[in-house]
Amino acid sequence: MNTPTEQPLSGAGVLISARGLRKSYGRTEALRGASLDLHEGEILAVTGTSGSGKSTLLHCLSGIVRPDEGAVTYGGEELGLLPEQRLSELRRRDFGVVFQFGQLIPELTALDNVALPLLLAGARRGHAHRTAGEWLERFGVRGQADLRPGGMSGGQSQRVALARALVTGPRAVFADEPTGALDTLAGEQVMTALVHTAREAGTAVLLITHDAQIAAYADREVGLRDGVVHSGPAAVLGQEAARREG
Amino acid sequence: MSTRHVLLGLLAAGPSHGYELKRQYDARFPQARPLAYGQVYTTLQRLVRDGLAAVEGTGSDGGPERTLYRSTAEGSHELGRWAQEITAPAPFVTNEIFAKVVVSILVAAAGPGGAQDGPEPDAAAHLRAQRAAHMERMRELTALKTTPGADLSTVLAADYALAHLDADVRWMTTTTARIDTLTAEVNGS
Amino acid sequence: MKADIRIAWILARGSDRREWWRFSLTLLGALLATGFALAAATIAAVRGQVSIPYAHGLLDRPGERAGVVLTLVLLLVPVLGFLGQCARIGAVHRHRRMAGMRLAGASPAQVRRLAAVESAFACLAGSSAGFAAFAVLLAVAGHTPPPVAWAAFVAVVLAVPVVAAPVSVFALRHVVASPLDHVRRTGPDRGRRAALGVVLAAALIAVAGLLLLFPGGKGVTPFALLVLGLVLLTGAGAIWAAGAFAAFVGRRLTLHAKSPAVLIAASRLAHDPWAAARTHAALLLVTVVGVGFLGVRGVLLSALGANGYRPVDLAFYTTGIDLAGAAVLVALTISLCGLAVGTAESLATRRRGLAAQAAAGVPHRVLARAALLETALPLAPALLLAGAGGTVVYLAYATVVGGPVPLLPLVVPVAVYAACLLAAATSLPLLRRVAHPAELRFT
Repeated sequence: MNTPTEQPLSGAGVLISARGLRKSYGRTEALRGASLDLHEGEILAVTGTSGSGKSTLLHCLSGIVRPDEGAVTYGGEELGLLPEQRLSELRRRDFGVVFQFGQLIPELTALDNVALPLLLAGARRGHAHRTAGEWLERFGVRGQADLRPGGMSGGQSQRVALARALVTGPRAVFADEPTGALDTLAGEQVMTALVHTAREAGTAVLLITHDAQIAAYADREVGLRDGVVHSGPAAVLGQEAARREG
Repeated sequence: MSTRHVLLGLLAAGPSHGYELKRQYDARFPQARPLAYGQVYTTLQRLVRDGLAAVEGTGSDGGPERTLYRSTAEGSHELGRWAQEITAPAPFVTNEIFAKVVVSILVAAAGPGGAQDGPEPDAAAHLRAQRAAHMERMRELTALKTTPGADLSTVLAADYALAHLDADVRWMTTTTARIDTLTAEVNGS
Repeated sequence: MKADIRIAWILARGSDRREWWRFSLTLLGALLATGFALAAATIAAVRGQVSIPYAHGLLDRPGERAGVVLTLVLLLVPVLGFLGQCARIGAVHRHRRMAGMRLAGASPAQVRRLAAVESAFACLAGSSAGFAAFAVLLAVAGHTPPPVAWAAFVAVVLAVPVVAAPVSVFALRHVVASPLDHVRRTGPDRGRRAALGVVLAAALIAVAGLLLLFPGGKGVTPFALLVLGLVLLTGAGAIWAAGAFAAFVGRRLTLHAKSPAVLIAASRLAHDPWAAARTHAALLLVTVVGVGFLGVRGVLLSALGANGYRPVDLAFYTTGIDLAGAAVLVALTISLCGLAVGTAESLATRRRGLAAQAAAGVPHRVLARAALLETALPLAPALLLAGAGGTVVYLAYATVVGGPVPLLPLVVPVAVYAACLLAAATSLPLLRRVAHPAELRFT
């Protein structure tokens, strides 16, 4: 449990590697040469202030957004060069995504929402529902299976979202402030559920947060500031000061 | 934490030995600084001196000699008063990190001659290192409380520490962002 | 494909009231389109000189029948406009949902198929219902169309959903690209579309002019092309005028507005000037046609009267013309429905913002006035231009035929303007419900 901040879990290979990512939205430079390795099975927290480019980094690593420059490599493939079809397949099979809120489809019940990635992959509804039901059980929201997102509490719908992200047995889960809209206790339940399931299944987690208490669930922390990744003890604080003083 | 009141509280359940009291104390308050047996002994003697506790008897159970203590009527009255008393919310702010930051700024302002040997103190670097240490401790505590089967006392004790460490981390973040202004202020006055 | 239909069905079952509104209105539009197309097919299938006891013998001869068929086919234009407006109901919400599907791993093709299946089924229901109604109508009239017509019927019933599917796929093209629901409204795009209309119209007029120049080319074709070109030109011009005026007035009034209602309406217009043009396109085209038609009708009738036709023959002409007039009225009604749907949709989409304004203390009166102004401001110059275009059409006709120039058509733009305000006003009850601070909870 007590792993050094600078080093990932020893012996684990690199799962996703990002090198020199740049991404601009209009005149706003969200990423300015960010590099990062996500290792197999590790839980990695990316911290930084609002507007530091955390979410853009997650979008690039999960293949949702293509970087302007730089490369994201996963399984020997460069995500930026893959066709949309293949990226969708990766999102469906190898990656899971959880946002702060709103990623569930409002028309679908909790059960159908969790079953969705399986249905999209062409699974039979009966099988998809059985598997989805098991995952709802694991996250303690089996009782909410027939509710639509509008009828659930924030904590419940985040747990359903986690179940959906994990239902396909992904290699990596990307969580962008997954507890941002929750109170402390609900956030703690969501984080505990995520960390336990990920460790059990050997799933790597990239956790975006600005909250030190949430970052403490991770094995390792890197800081993002002004679109660049800093790791080590100097990770999060005072890059400004560090740069100024050379 | 007032050790004498906590011991008095543990005695409320019934007469007990000093060793048993220490064991209970450590179990009830995990992550707290462990109680030394000597401290339990002196505290109990003071309670007896003030009439809040009394010696129930002495037994040996075949082992070493043990003194059995019990709470008195005056003791339970005092315990009730203490339990209902509101804890003063941070009457004095003792912040060692802040003190070190200010001292670092003062030393740095004194120039290279100010610190004859050793590395020159750097307030920002100090805050970064301190934050890393805080995060390390927070990871430990989080791992402790998320261990399957962790009892609620452990979880609550960890939560308390985590919330306080988190407060420190927030304070360090905002302080780092304003270190230049602080440096100017410290050096100006 | 089976998986897609299954997911589309689960989605439809969980849809809210707004989605069902869209389904129902789309169904209605498909029904109308099917009705017009089936009628056109039935009449087109009649061969040679016959005696049909309807419309004063207008359907007896092939020449007039061709005109009726053309009119029915042209009626599909406002119906398509209406369907386009229906497709926009809940568009923002649907965008978000499709983005959610993409995030969950749906491929672009899958999202496209889902959207296509969804609208194709609504349209198939509409076209089937339209066919059923039409069959009943035929049975009542005692007319049995030839086999070739039945083949056409089947083709129409299937064509409506087949056409609707790619249209809704086109509407979702932005989401297909991004799973993050970054739908940006691109302003210049709309302007370019109006410009395309102008180019097309200019080309038509040029062709008509060339045909007129050639000896022996003075037939019906170049004149029809000329009229079509003029109508398109003024239509495109009017749409451009609506957009450009909305942008200009929006900017000016945002700076200088004295009343809060004007300020709100102006900043909305400045934000998305082409939204108004989009809603009004079909309406402006109908206005051009309406003004031109009424003028031509007046000129023609007075010319016929002057030539001393017998009342029976005159009845034949008036019936034909009035039938065309009815078609214009139907087109106007459909376009006004489109406007009403568009206004309601715009309010429903902005309900969070409206509720926030209401919660911040903006009186309901001000919001209502702003909503009306938003329709009224860009429509005024556009209708003026559309009216002018129609007037040019019938003045041209009057100079060719000769005779007095009627003034009645000049009332048309004013009447349409009033009707538009009424259509926009039908959404005010919705505003009252939507602009309630309590709405903030649910959105």
